[in-house]
Formats: sequence, structure tokens, C-alpha cells
Amino acid sequence: MNTVTIGLVLALTTIAAGCTTTDSSRNLADAGVPGKALAQQVCSICHGADGNSTNPTFPKLAGQQESYLIGQLTDFRSHGRSDPAGSEYMWGISRHLTDVQIQQLAAYFAQQQPIADTSANAKLEADGKAIFMNGLANQNVPACETCHGAKGEGNASFPRIAGQHADYIAKQLRVFKDTEMRPKGAVMKVITHDLAPDEIQAVAAYVSTISR
Amino acid sequence: MNVYQYQHVMAGRNVLPAHCRCVDNATYINKCSETVLSHSGMVLIFSWLATLLMLLMSMNAEAVPAFARQTGQNCLACHAGGQFPELTPYGRMFKLTGYTIGERTVPLSVMGVFTANKVKVNDPAAGHTQDGTLTFNTGSLFLAGKIMDKAGVFAQITYNNYAGDTGFSGHTGSDNLDLRYADRLINKKTDLIYGVTLHNNPGVQDVWNSAPAWGYGVVPGSTGTGAPVTPMLDGGLAQQVAGAGAYVYWNQSVYAELTGYRTGNGVFSFMTQGNGVQTIIKGTNPYLRLALTHAWGAHNAMIGVSHLDVQQYPDPTNLSTPTDRYRDNSVDFQYQYLLDPHTVTATLTRIHETVDYGTPGALADTVDSFRGKASYVYKAKYGATISYFDVSSSLNGFTSPTGLSGNRGWTPEIFWTPMQYIRLGVQYTLFNKVNGVSSNTDGAGRKASDDNTLMFYVWGAY
Repeated sequence: MNTVTIGLVLALTTIAAGCTTTDSSRNLADAGVPGKALAQQVCSICHGADGNSTNPTFPKLAGQQESYLIGQLTDFRSHGRSDPAGSEYMWGISRHLTDVQIQQLAAYFAQQQPIADTSANAKLEADGKAIFMNGLANQNVPACETCHGAKGEGNASFPRIAGQHADYIAKQLRVFKDTEMRPKGAVMKVITHDLAPDEIQAVAAYVSTISR
Repeated sequence: MNVYQYQHVMAGRNVLPAHCRCVDNATYINKCSETVLSHSGMVLIFSWLATLLMLLMSMNAEAVPAFARQTGQNCLACHAGGQFPELTPYGRMFKLTGYTIGERTVPLSVMGVFTANKVKVNDPAAGHTQDGTLTFNTGSLFLAGKIMDKAGVFAQITYNNYAGDTGFSGHTGSDNLDLRYADRLINKKTDLIYGVTLHNNPGVQDVWNSAPAWGYGVVPGSTGTGAPVTPMLDGGLAQQVAGAGAYVYWNQSVYAELTGYRTGNGVFSFMTQGNGVQTIIKGTNPYLRLALTHAWGAHNAMIGVSHLDVQQYPDPTNLSTPTDRYRDNSVDFQYQYLLDPHTVTATLTRIHETVDYGTPGALADTVDSFRGKASYVYKAKYGATISYFDVSSSLNGFTSPTGLSGNRGWTPEIFWTPMQYIRLGVQYTLFNKVNGVSSNTDGAGRKASDDNTLMFYVWGAY
């Protein structure tokens, strides 16, 4: 047997060996692949293995409420959420996930430790904190903490927003305010209706720095 | 001659074009096909592509180029600002993990490019369509996608109208190919991707756009005017060799690769078919690659080095002669800022080549290439690019009509991507220097600026 043949046999053996486990599979259409494997092999590329994404295009998932993650993945799968970040990236990723995999994925990221952004603009963040804590009474904007919690930690009904990327928060507030792309977040349409662009920037900046 | 023309760089020494080089700064599909296809063959291929296109168009709305069908995602998930082929961090990971993310699907795609070139002063010695006529340039068929759970392929066959030296004859051949297996060991603290690759073009396995195989634009370029001598690493072995390599990518910070290249004949000839007279290299020729990467916020950057050491027979029909040895060292850099609606990308590539000739007493040569490119894309639709090239060599084995060497110029470009599978662009290549001078570049009074070329293109893929 010459060198080439030996090499090809070794390569095919290696490839065949790699086909026998689902623990490190990147197959998004195999119901047998555990959610944790998908989280680490695929989701981690954008969202981070610990759920703390680097690029603000992709939201941090660490510590997110499990029920919220299940709801969002289910919405992506059914195309119930159609904002660009959702449809361009997540429709395809979620299209064949099973309910069990979605639950496992949600559990994986909910268990991760969130890491907040560091303070970058104290004045802007202070303005945002005032809106977060007190709302804007004359614009019919309630305090964010009313639903999302005093530390933005969320609960079974509302998502965690603490420590989320400011750019992601601001873009989603604009999605709620200006579009119908997230119908299950319709309550936010009323709340954001009178928020001005600079107020969106301020509250997003503050939220990104909440560390608990 | 044209963008895929041969560089008979060893004038008086090479009976055959042993060193086939791509010649301008806007070459994505590196190839130098020479197999002439008959008229009936052309009709057959067109019919085939048209049938395939209709078949694909009859599929669901997500039936887009094969990888997008596999992942269900928009092209811009993997391509920065939608600029094919420039990869995002996710696109790089998709490739490094063996094209296996997603699900197996119909692994076929097609791509076509129409171009119109207008050279400032027509050069009768250099290629076709210098008068601005819109012409079908290249068409490609891709076999691309997940094969097994941890193995995938990117393989391209290209029909190139301009592969010949004369006339409107069509040429078809193997284009870029990369077959790989990869696995990923990951937990919260460690992330190790390791894999093996079999490919046919040094650098095509790279995931950064500063690699010459991917770096110089979305479509094949213009007319072949102002063609410089370029280093071996810049397409000199494209679709002529078979490379088997192994790589690791640790903690998304350090990439290391070792590949060996052999002549792409015998069992590997499927990787090199239709690309002219087979280049013959001696034994296994090593390629080393090391890159450091870092991402912060919406930014990411890479700095890397590579080394290629090739021993090539100057005459592939006579293997009794000593080989010429090409040693290439490169340093390259890439930066990206990716945050909707803005995409900024930049690359720098510097290659230094030493050529030691096998002929006793022959003086060595050096080839130096520097290229830079910066792009901005707004909303993944409207883009502008500026690129710079400066390529020169010594003139011991190489020749130049002026007795000097060096091509230098700029290519500004604007483009529009109305939908993710179609792109229209206009670029203008300005030559400051051709053959080392700005005037009398051919010894007959031609100026470097006479080679300035306006190019309009329409690129589409499905």
C-alpha cells in the first residue's frame, strides 16, 4: 500500500469515527443532538460559550430567564419574531429544533453567569437610570424596573435586560416602537411610543452596565 | 490575453507555462484554464446550468446558495456586509468546523458574472472586451455543504470565457476545492477546533480575506493589461496541486496550520482538471501558517504569517532537470467592524519571494508584492472599496521590455447589492506604474495610465 492509500484510509477512518457521536455534533436537524451540544458547538460562535457575546449584534444570553429563551426560540422557529436580527440569523438556526432541544438550550444559557458591560459614559447612563427607575411621567413611559425588576433581572413573565449590550437594547426598543415585527412584545410598543432617540440611547446605556 | 493569461515569466527558459499566474488586483476566481471546450460543449454546459437554475428556483424561498440553504441563514451571517467571499467571524467558524453547521441539503449552487471592460487606450496584445461591451465572463457550479456530521466540502467548477488567448472560446476546469473534516472540543474555558483539509490552491483553505486566494475582489478582473509578475503564493499553484493539511484553532485566538503540496496528478487529478498543462512540483512542498486573532465589541482583527517552499520543474515535460525553488514569506493583517448598519473591513498583505533557479550559475530572483484593501458597506447594500497594489521583482530570470520591474496602482470601486444574491459594481483601476515606469511601458510609447481600466460587473449566485 502506498502512502496516498494509507493516508486516505486513515482520513476515512477518522471521518467515520467522528460520525458516531452526537455530543459534539453541529447538525441542527437531528433531534438526538443534546441542547448543550448545540449550545456549545453552534450557538457559542455568536453568543459565547458562557452566553456572554462579544459583538453587540448578538444578545447576551447568560442568565436570561429560561421561559423567555424558550418563548423566543419558539417564536423564531414559527417566524413569529421577524426583526432583522431574528430572521436573518435565527430562523434558520431554529427551524428544526425540537421542543426538548429548545428547553435544553434555554436551561443551558439561563445557568450561565452574566457579565455586564463596563461604564463608558456616566452622564448618559445617569440619564438612563432615571428613566429606568422612574419612567417619564409626562410621556406616559413607565419605569422599566416595574416589570423587569429593580436590577433588570427579569422574571417568569419579563426578560432579563441587565448587562445586555446597549446597541442590542436600543435596536430592539426601536423595533418595538417602529414596527410590528415582535407581536408578542406588543406591550413594549405602548411603552416606547413616546421615547425619543436620545432617551433610548440613555436607557440602553444604563441597562448595559447593570451587573446583577 | 486577459485576466487569466499566462505569465511566461521565465522567458527563454520555459517551454510551457509552468508558473501560471493571475494578473490583476481584482481576481477572486484564481484559475488559468486552458482546455478549450467545443461549441457543443458550451451549449451543453449552458443547458445544464439553466436546468439546474430552474430546478433550484422551483424550491422554497430559502433555496439560496448551498451554504445558506444548509444553515437557513442570510448570506450576511457568514459574509461581511454581504460581500462575497469576505467572511465574518461566524463564517470563519463555519469553514473551520468543516462546513458542517446546519443540515444536509441539496449541496449545489451556481454563480455567474457579467463584465464590461473599457481600457483607456486599447492594447491589442492584451485580451478581449476592452471596448466596454457587456460580456459573460465566468459561470461556476458549486458542490458545497455538509457531507457527513463532521465533514464538508466546497468545490467549484468554473466555465471561463476568457481562459483562452484568443477569441470567445469557453474553457471549463476545476476551480477552488476544499474538502475538510473538523471537530471542536469546547467548554466554558477552552475551545479547540482541529481539522484536516484536502485542497488545490495554497491559501484557499484560509479563512481570512488577506489570503491572496480570496482577497482581491468579488469578480474576475479586467483585461490583463498591466499584468505583473506575482509571487507563487498569489495563485501560482492554483488548481495545479493537491494539498493535505492539518490545523488547529485554539480559544479563537491562535490558528496554526501545516500543509504539504504535491503535484495534482494521478489520483488527485480531479482537483486540477481543465487547467492547462499540469505544473509539476518535486515531492511534498510545505506550507506553514500562523495567525493570531482577537475580537472586542464589534471589532475583530487578525495578524498572520505564512511560508511556502516549492520546488518546481521549469519544464514539466522534462523531469531530469534541476528544480527551481520558490520560497515565499508573507505577513498579512485583517480588520473588521461589523455592526448593523455599518460594515468596515480592511486587509494588508505583504509577500516576499525568493527564486533560486536550478540551472547552475543562474542568478536568483526576488518578487515582492504588497496589497491593501479597505471597504465600507452600509446596510449590506451600498458599498465602496479602495484597494492598492504594488508588485515588483528583480530581473534575472524574469524579463521586462523596459528593463525595470514594478506595477503599482489603485482600484476604487462602488457597488450595490439590491438583494443578497445579486451585486452590481463599477471599479476603475488606475495604473501609476507598469513595468517599473509611468511612460513608455512597452518600449513603444505606451503610458502606464493607458492601461487604466473601467469595469462594470453584475454578479449573481443561486
